[in-house]
Amino acid sequence: MGSTISSLIVAAERGDVRAAEALFTALYSELHRLAKRELARHGAAVSLSATTLLHEAYLDMAGRDGPAFPDRARFMGYAARVMRGLIIDHARERHAQKRGGLFKITSLDTEAMENAVDHRELVQISEALDELGKMEPALAEVVDLKFFCGFSFGEIAAMRDVSERTVQRNWEKARIYLHRKIRADLSL
Amino acid sequence: MSTFSPEQWQALSPYLDQALAMTDDDRNAWLSLLGEQNPALAAQLRALLDEHRVLAQEGFLEKGPVALPSGPGLAGQTIGPYRLISQIGQGGMGSVWLAERSDGRFDRRVAVKFLSVALMGKGGEERFKREGSILGRLAHPHIAELVDAGISATGQPYLVLEYVEGDHIDRYCDDHMVDVEGRVRLFLDVLVAVAHAHSNLIVHRDLKPSNVLVSKDGQVKLLDFGIAKLLEGEGQAGEATLLTIEGGRAMTPEYAAPEQVRGEPVTTATDVYALGVLLYVLLTGQHPAGAGPHTPAALVKAIMDTEPTRPSAMVAPMGSSPEATTTNAARRATTPDKLQHLLRGDLDTIVAKALKKNPQERYGSVTALADDLGRYLRNEPISARPDTLAYRAAKFVRRNRTAVALAVLAVIAAVAGLVGTLMQARTARAQRDFAFQQLERAEAVNDLNSFLLSDAAPSGKPFTVNELLERARHIVERQHGNDASRVQLLISIGQQYNTQDEDAKARPVIEEAYRISRGLADRSTRAQASCALGSALSRADDPKRAEALIQEGLRELPNEPQYALDRVFCLLRGSVVARNTGEVQEGIARVQAAQRALKETPFDPEMLRLRVFIDLAEAYREAAQLPEAIHAFEQASAQLSALGRDDTETAGTLFNNWALALLQIGRPLEAERLFRRAIEISRADQSEQGVSPMLLNNYASTLDDLARLDEASGYAERAYARARQAGDEVVTNQSLLTRARIYRDQHDFARGLAMLDEVEPRLRKDLPPGHYAFGSLLSERSLLELERGDLPSALRLATQAVDAMEAATKAGKAGSNFLPAVYLRRAKVELQAGRPDVAATDVALALHLLQKDLPSPTLSSKSGRAYLLLARVLMAQGKTDEARAAARTAVEHLQSTLGPDHPDTRSARQLAEADTQQK
Repeated sequence: MGSTISSLIVAAERGDVRAAEALFTALYSELHRLAKRELARHGAAVSLSATTLLHEAYLDMAGRDGPAFPDRARFMGYAARVMRGLIIDHARERHAQKRGGLFKITSLDTEAMENAVDHRELVQISEALDELGKMEPALAEVVDLKFFCGFSFGEIAAMRDVSERTVQRNWEKARIYLHRKIRADLSL
Repeated sequence: MSTFSPEQWQALSPYLDQALAMTDDDRNAWLSLLGEQNPALAAQLRALLDEHRVLAQEGFLEKGPVALPSGPGLAGQTIGPYRLISQIGQGGMGSVWLAERSDGRFDRRVAVKFLSVALMGKGGEERFKREGSILGRLAHPHIAELVDAGISATGQPYLVLEYVEGDHIDRYCDDHMVDVEGRVRLFLDVLVAVAHAHSNLIVHRDLKPSNVLVSKDGQVKLLDFGIAKLLEGEGQAGEATLLTIEGGRAMTPEYAAPEQVRGEPVTTATDVYALGVLLYVLLTGQHPAGAGPHTPAALVKAIMDTEPTRPSAMVAPMGSSPEATTTNAARRATTPDKLQHLLRGDLDTIVAKALKKNPQERYGSVTALADDLGRYLRNEPISARPDTLAYRAAKFVRRNRTAVALAVLAVIAAVAGLVGTLMQARTARAQRDFAFQQLERAEAVNDLNSFLLSDAAPSGKPFTVNELLERARHIVERQHGNDASRVQLLISIGQQYNTQDEDAKARPVIEEAYRISRGLADRSTRAQASCALGSALSRADDPKRAEALIQEGLRELPNEPQYALDRVFCLLRGSVVARNTGEVQEGIARVQAAQRALKETPFDPEMLRLRVFIDLAEAYREAAQLPEAIHAFEQASAQLSALGRDDTETAGTLFNNWALALLQIGRPLEAERLFRRAIEISRADQSEQGVSPMLLNNYASTLDDLARLDEASGYAERAYARARQAGDEVVTNQSLLTRARIYRDQHDFARGLAMLDEVEPRLRKDLPPGHYAFGSLLSERSLLELERGDLPSALRLATQAVDAMEAATKAGKAGSNFLPAVYLRRAKVELQAGRPDVAATDVALALHLLQKDLPSPTLSSKSGRAYLLLARVLMAQGKTDEARAAARTAVEHLQSTLGPDHPDTRSARQLAEADTQQK
């Protein structure tokens, strides 16, 4: 599994679209498996932060794969994108569970996730991010890392070896893009 | 500006990089420079940067979705004899797992529900197990069995429940397109189960669709009975509110009853409410609070304050989204029209009764609710009574006293009606400017209202109008800016205090408004402040300064149309000031002037016109100009209907006062109808709890006048009981006098006398000597003696009554209304005593007094009765022709005012006819 992931990352970086897809799927199931394992270890009541999960995942995979495994920054770039998918799927699932008849239940009773952002909005954000990623991948990645995975500006800056201000500027720029996109969608 | 294309973004992107790297000042300079070269680009950037400021303020994307699913980590583990298979649910209380027995003793699947440790109240394991075993005995085919309850090795409490494969009842009904009748039948199964639990003293407390499942074969199963209670601590039963029950986390109280939100004791009525919501959802597909999503704060407010829309109105086809309405109806195997028809009437009524805010007004039991639904299915009359519009309106006012009171803030005279009619105003520029200025003030007031309401609402705590006004005052005091709006707000707040009878608080607020207004040049604000203060001082018994302020205010206003509304404002207050000092004619003149001023305005301030009619009617009534008063009441009532306010409390008060004027002039037949309408408006349900005792007594007295004695005594007795209960001395005394009259008319003299004996010491305590009421009392006593056959006592008392009333009338004006009655009563005694000549004098006096102020063709039961007595006196004197003529006049008066079948009308007719036969 580990070696698959490192070779897929190399292939994806060469521009292999199918490799990129396969990488996504592999990372998805890997993260999912890890989440399960962590939760089993800590019991049902615990909820896990995405950041912790990604760190765990990196350690886990890099440990198995040895020195050939890509560096932390490159891994996180991919994994954060996958994590976004995982989170959105989960939100969707929870939304389906929680639909009580025709009126929507807005609830404060469980995860902070639904509190902050509605799953439909998450989907919109995700779609807009994909568009943005095609033009300015660095901007999209900042959003994945910060918004979806909860990394701080400092962590992201260290990961990418750029200044914190640069990360912050990327973040603000991405927010402008997303806000405009999402607001326009809402007003349609 | 809409969203951008990739090309546009790529063009903007480098500039955004630059802009975001700059300080604000640098950026502005840079943008100006850029604007000279490329204005379109600069404009776009500016727009985006503005948007950025907004989104940063909103915290757009700042709260990320950080938590991950508490995923399936327990699979394979065992809890007691059960092996967990897979997670089947996750909710506020904890996770739910499908499990099977690991020892293979039974081939049975169960659901294991883990409860968050944090949710366990005080009392711990012991109680959890004890309660669990009570719940375990709750065996019913429609209740999911509680198989076991325990605490796992890791200390987590869990329940083992019968595993039910099924769907939430609402989804089941929608998916299977169950029609309304089918839904009601399914719901009846739910009721049977809840009733069974109630008979075992177990309340569900958390009924909602996810706890009511329907299996594939259509069997209802209720989950989680009594579990909410398990989560409560010992000794705090009923204290946990839904907002605290979830371990401090707010739970969306969609099915919570008002008492749960308030944290009051939870009873079976709480389940009735939740069932009402469930029925509502099943029938309409909507929550009673309307289409969601709702924030918890909005829901709490809806639960506490808002009367739910009737189910039939909720499914009305004219709603905002016709497609949704059609789909919704189709899920009930019908069309929107037919669905509305099906729900209208009984189902509306049943749901409304289950959803009453007050637990005591709901169905007394789940069985009673089931009975009514059964009757509905069998097409029998149901027990619940529909809320009349009047009831709903009265309820609205009661529930929303705060909101209504605040709404009144916005409808203060000078701006009333302006907002709605501005669009139609085709007026000169000056008038338009004026209108905008008025509108601005109205908006300032509205802003304050909505601020106060939204700010006060989330706490969920009841608050009084006074508290709100207190806050309003503080806010206004802190507010900077437009002094004219501040004056308006302060006046509004002061007037609001006055309507709350908090005169002491009103006065300083209005004084402050006046003080600020002196520094302003704006005439209309200055005038309003003067007149508002005048009005406040008049209430505070400073009539001279009050009058001076009104004059000052009126002088301030140029005689131009744009000041007409301010003039009306001042004149109406001036009228009250004049009337308070006994200047009734000046009071009338000022309202009339206001009425004329109102015609000059370019707008059509309907509310204000209504107010003027009401004030005019009251002024006339105070001046005892009854025909004029009645005419004004008629106009006010027509205006009220035109505004669609027939069923408001304003209407109720209007009808009461109008009826009093009619009663005073001698038209009880018409008065009766109006009193009845007034009662209907304030009647709550079938009870009279919402009706004021004074109104009940007025009605009793009218019924007595109409010789409907049995009804009259009922109303009078209830008026008495209610007045006693409320500690209302005036109405207690009034109702005792009414009862004395009614019992006398029923020939129950002992009881009549008892009433008089009860009321006399009370009157002596409350009223100054020489008050006209003592004349009435003597007169009543004299009539009782007459009925008992003690003529000398009757005569003596009758004369004392006349003396007392004449003295009272001379001292003030108050007794004059009653003077004719005491003359007539003495005449009656004199006639019995065989002294018709003396009686004739008294009758003539009474008739003169009755008719001197009325236009000649005014028909009145009072005049009619005087003529009837005159006819008898004349007959006794042997003047049969004249007697016959008097009797005919009496008939004329009586048949239209008392009705043709009234005993007095019949006597008069007999007298007229008997005489004819003798001839």
